[in-house]
Amino acid sequence: MEALFYNVDAGFLEGIVRGYKTGLLTQNQYNNLTQCESIEDFRTQLSATDYGNFLANEPLPISTSTIADKATQVLVDQFNYLRSNAVEPLATFLDYITYAYMIDNVILLITGTLHERDTHELIERCHPLGVFDSMPALCVASNVEELYHTVLVETPLARFFRDSLSAAELDDLNIEIIRNTLYKAYLEDFYALCQKIGGPTADIMSRILAFEADRRSINITINSFGTELSKEQRARLFPAIGRLFPEGNNQLARADDIDQVRGACEAVSEYRAFFDSSATGGAPSNANGSTAHLLGELDDGGVGADLEDRFFLYEVHLNKQAFLQQFQYAVFYAYIRLREQEIRSLTWIAECIAQDAKDRIHDFIPIF
Amino acid sequence: MGDEYPTLFRSEAMSLVQLIVPTEVAHDTIAELGELGDVQFKDLNPDVNPFQRSYVGEIRRIDEMSRRVRFFTNQIEKEKEKIPVRPLYDCLPIVTVGPRAAQTMDELATKLSEHEARLSQMNDSYQQLCDRTKELVEARHVLRETAVFFDSASTAQTEIRTSFDDSSAPLLQHDDREAQYSGNVQFDLEFVAGTIERSRLPTFERVLWRVLRGNLYMNHTDIEEPFVNPSTGEETRKNVFIIFAHGDSLLAKIRKVAESMGGTLYPIDSNADKRSDALREVTARLEDLQVVLYNTGNSRRMELVTIGESLASWQDVVRKEKMIYETLNLLNYDVRRKTLLAEGWCPTRDIPMIQVALRHATEESGTNVPPILHELKTTKKPPTFQRTNKFTEAFQTIMDSYGIATYQEVNPGLFAVITFPFLFAVMFGDIGHGFIIFCAAIWMIIRERAWAKADLGEIIGTFFYGRYIILLMGAFSMYTGLIYNDIFSKTLHLFHSGWDFPNGSTDGVSNGHTYLFGLDPGWHGAENALIFTNSYKMKMSIVIGVIHMTFALCLQVPNHLRFKRFSDIYTNFIPQMLFLQSIFGYLVVCILYKWSVDWETSSSAPPSLLNMLISMFLSPGSIDPDSQLYRGQGTVQTILLLIALVCVPWLLVSKPYLQYKEMKAIKEQGYIGLQGEDTIGHATDEQLEGEEEGNGRAIAEADDDEGEHHDFGEVVIHQVIHTIEFCLGCISHTASYLRLWALSLAHAQLSDVLWTMTIGKVLGMPGVIGTIAVAVAGVLWFILTVAILCIMEGLSAFLHALRLHWVEANSKHYEAGGYQFQPLSFARMNED
Repeated sequence: MEALFYNVDAGFLEGIVRGYKTGLLTQNQYNNLTQCESIEDFRTQLSATDYGNFLANEPLPISTSTIADKATQVLVDQFNYLRSNAVEPLATFLDYITYAYMIDNVILLITGTLHERDTHELIERCHPLGVFDSMPALCVASNVEELYHTVLVETPLARFFRDSLSAAELDDLNIEIIRNTLYKAYLEDFYALCQKIGGPTADIMSRILAFEADRRSINITINSFGTELSKEQRARLFPAIGRLFPEGNNQLARADDIDQVRGACEAVSEYRAFFDSSATGGAPSNANGSTAHLLGELDDGGVGADLEDRFFLYEVHLNKQAFLQQFQYAVFYAYIRLREQEIRSLTWIAECIAQDAKDRIHDFIPIF
Repeated sequence: MGDEYPTLFRSEAMSLVQLIVPTEVAHDTIAELGELGDVQFKDLNPDVNPFQRSYVGEIRRIDEMSRRVRFFTNQIEKEKEKIPVRPLYDCLPIVTVGPRAAQTMDELATKLSEHEARLSQMNDSYQQLCDRTKELVEARHVLRETAVFFDSASTAQTEIRTSFDDSSAPLLQHDDREAQYSGNVQFDLEFVAGTIERSRLPTFERVLWRVLRGNLYMNHTDIEEPFVNPSTGEETRKNVFIIFAHGDSLLAKIRKVAESMGGTLYPIDSNADKRSDALREVTARLEDLQVVLYNTGNSRRMELVTIGESLASWQDVVRKEKMIYETLNLLNYDVRRKTLLAEGWCPTRDIPMIQVALRHATEESGTNVPPILHELKTTKKPPTFQRTNKFTEAFQTIMDSYGIATYQEVNPGLFAVITFPFLFAVMFGDIGHGFIIFCAAIWMIIRERAWAKADLGEIIGTFFYGRYIILLMGAFSMYTGLIYNDIFSKTLHLFHSGWDFPNGSTDGVSNGHTYLFGLDPGWHGAENALIFTNSYKMKMSIVIGVIHMTFALCLQVPNHLRFKRFSDIYTNFIPQMLFLQSIFGYLVVCILYKWSVDWETSSSAPPSLLNMLISMFLSPGSIDPDSQLYRGQGTVQTILLLIALVCVPWLLVSKPYLQYKEMKAIKEQGYIGLQGEDTIGHATDEQLEGEEEGNGRAIAEADDDEGEHHDFGEVVIHQVIHTIEFCLGCISHTASYLRLWALSLAHAQLSDVLWTMTIGKVLGMPGVIGTIAVAVAGVLWFILTVAILCIMEGLSAFLHALRLHWVEANSKHYEAGGYQFQPLSFARMNED
């Protein structure tokens, strides 16, 4: 049924986003980029892509952060175009995409304030998609309740916050807990929204969000080894969605080392592959096909870093799959994530060129 | 062919030439060829990445230079008072060829970077000064506004005391709280004052309210004038705020929030004397600063003026150099021989000119190794190059926008020069309207030199581009206007009319005269005028249409002859021609015959030609004696119909059959897969030949095996489509020419209506009022004539004439399978 009326409201934007998607860099273009000798080469090379002359007016030398900023700006402009043309329920859906960035910005600001960084510098580092009006005021908050009552209460994040409210002082651990609780609430809420939209959107988004949730659960578990986070607290941070939920999450909550984490993930064949190759090394993960092979050979990084790359790779894989179906909103989410991944890859390549670390230049995650 | 005078009939003969250029003169050679604008270079390294090509370094340097030039342009554009940029033709040209070229470029590069450094330094200091001025201005505003506030508070103090007891007053009400604080503690309440962007104020207020749990008193006023950012020119509006709160921690919070929201805080003393001192000081400093600011701005302006003097020539040089190096990147670099190999198309006729240019380039660069040019043989299809001048350019563009002619095909653009304005005029026939657009075109042509340089904008520019079309359209419209005898819906009475209207009767009596040229004015205003003109114009459109289509069809013949497709003449051209003529040619003959008969004296009533044509198909051979046009009509029509019917299978079958026979003959001789072998043998031959001569083979030759692939099925399908299209097309296209009648009718009626609705209504009025009314109506009439009849109707007639050429005429002969010749040309670069 959704095919009947989908195009009335969102057909135009889907066309736009699919057009944007064809502008994502291809393997060939990445190959060209990795062969660049200098950042100027890099710029020339990029000007042949959909990025066009976005760096043409920058005086030399160009720093990697400028490239990342400008590329992000391209993404933000595209997103804003989509957002301003969207109608309900796509508008809400797109808003939900920004909430993740808001959470990151909030955490960045309060962490920064905690470590007494300059507020303006912090605000500049915030992701432009997650900027909201009263954001700068975050820096006056000294405990969680204040944080909520002064700033967050009027942002869309308020409802994620309500449940996790406690009067605790802000310290690193608490901030981490806040971040994860917020994310948990956000993911669950987003999941609920997608279910409400229904149809193929729900199908595809639940796959992507389930993976996102599982990834968070696993990361929380691995990162909490050897910290003062108690197991009950840890269990409370796991999102109540995902393929590991509830069985795997329970196991994760009890896990004490990486092997137990692996045990918890045994049940899901795709996840098993992450640990398989990262532990044994060399064996290419079968879930991600040939692209994973690239990374399968680079095992000098730590297990954590390697796992993270595998996660990214799988996320890219899932997001790419979102484009296989029409009449659904997941393409918008997927496009933003893919573009974000591309910016990360670009920054990585630029960084490698700038620091003359050619041997690691291939450690980026290609999309197509 | 090469010696003939250039013609529009066919596109120029092109040659594929190879240039062997020594590296040291490469730049100058390309520059010279770019000035000449006659060679289209081919990309000889299609597999090489753009940044792996030989001249990337130079291009990058040029890019950097062009970035600087863009920066200057931006700066100059942003300046509020206009800075004169000296136009290019006024500038001293910068010579970038010859032995000193490299040095010139180096000098230019350093000059640009020096200017940039100076300018950005000035911008920086200007910006700093501006910022400081802004701060001071803000401070002054804060001081003034707070002073007003404090003053009003202290005067109001006494009366407000009364309300002190009323402690139950809600905290939220500003008046009350103001009263309490100011009355109570005599300004030892602490406060924060500053400025903040107006758009942020509501958020700021809300956040503070929540942070301090309402324990504050805030007052704010708008600053009237906006603050302008000198570098971006954006305007921001700000507000002064003053916040009272109690306790150090709260004040610290306020400060922090204000700072993080982009506000600026200013230390203000609660003491009135100190405040006025501060105000005085701020004002004094502001004055000093403004003097400095003015001077800085002045010297920055001076710098920009200096830049503006030569900016245009820099732009030009940078653009040219970039084009040169981009072209050089297309060439093949032969490391062994230290030469560059270039391949490209050029008009065969111009090869001597190119030779001269090459020699000139060698002389310029001061070496004695000239570039070598020789022609290559190729099977590739050359680009199409129609040599136009300012007169034919617009006409050619009309045809090019339908499709670029196949190489050496008959070019319909040549005939469009006359047929286009003529068909337009048939629809637009009116002496007056034609005269108006004729005058407009004449005016544009007189102003040509001045306007060609100026940027006219899209709409005017388009009209200006088509000025010669408009000129001819105007002239032809006057001619058809004379035929229709229409001038602003009135008639001219040039000769004796053939009709008399005795004693005001409405029945015309023929008086034996024949009106010499055009429509008899006697028809004007007659009751049956419309019937007469309709019949006349409808038949005329059919006659014109069939003639136009026949002519277009005939243009096939030179094509078939030129491309040696002799069989096409009797498989395509002859059946098509017979088909068209036996039906519609016959109709035209009938029309002319019917006109020539005096039906007044004839024994029978005039037959309807439409019915005749229909019954020719429906009941061939039998003619109703009442509607017979001439004797033996039935037989003639049957024969014609049979001819037309035979033409269809002829058209359908003959060409595929010939192809089939040809293929079979080849197969019987045992030459299967002949084409591939042939090219290989051919290639090796030429290769050997090339080696002998000691020059390289065409490098881009490998991929040009465009040998036509004869798939029999394809030929059949193509011919079937072609046949159906042609036969149905003949009918619908003939009907399509009726638009000539419809539009000319609409035009005449519209101008008639316009006349009667405006001037016609007031013409008879007596006295002064009548004169005024005529004047007003006349102006109105003229404006509407120009806007509706000349421009709107003109555009619509233009569109229909365009369609008649594109669809009705071009489909008869025009293949349009070529591609445009795009030479490297500096002159063209400036057009983009």
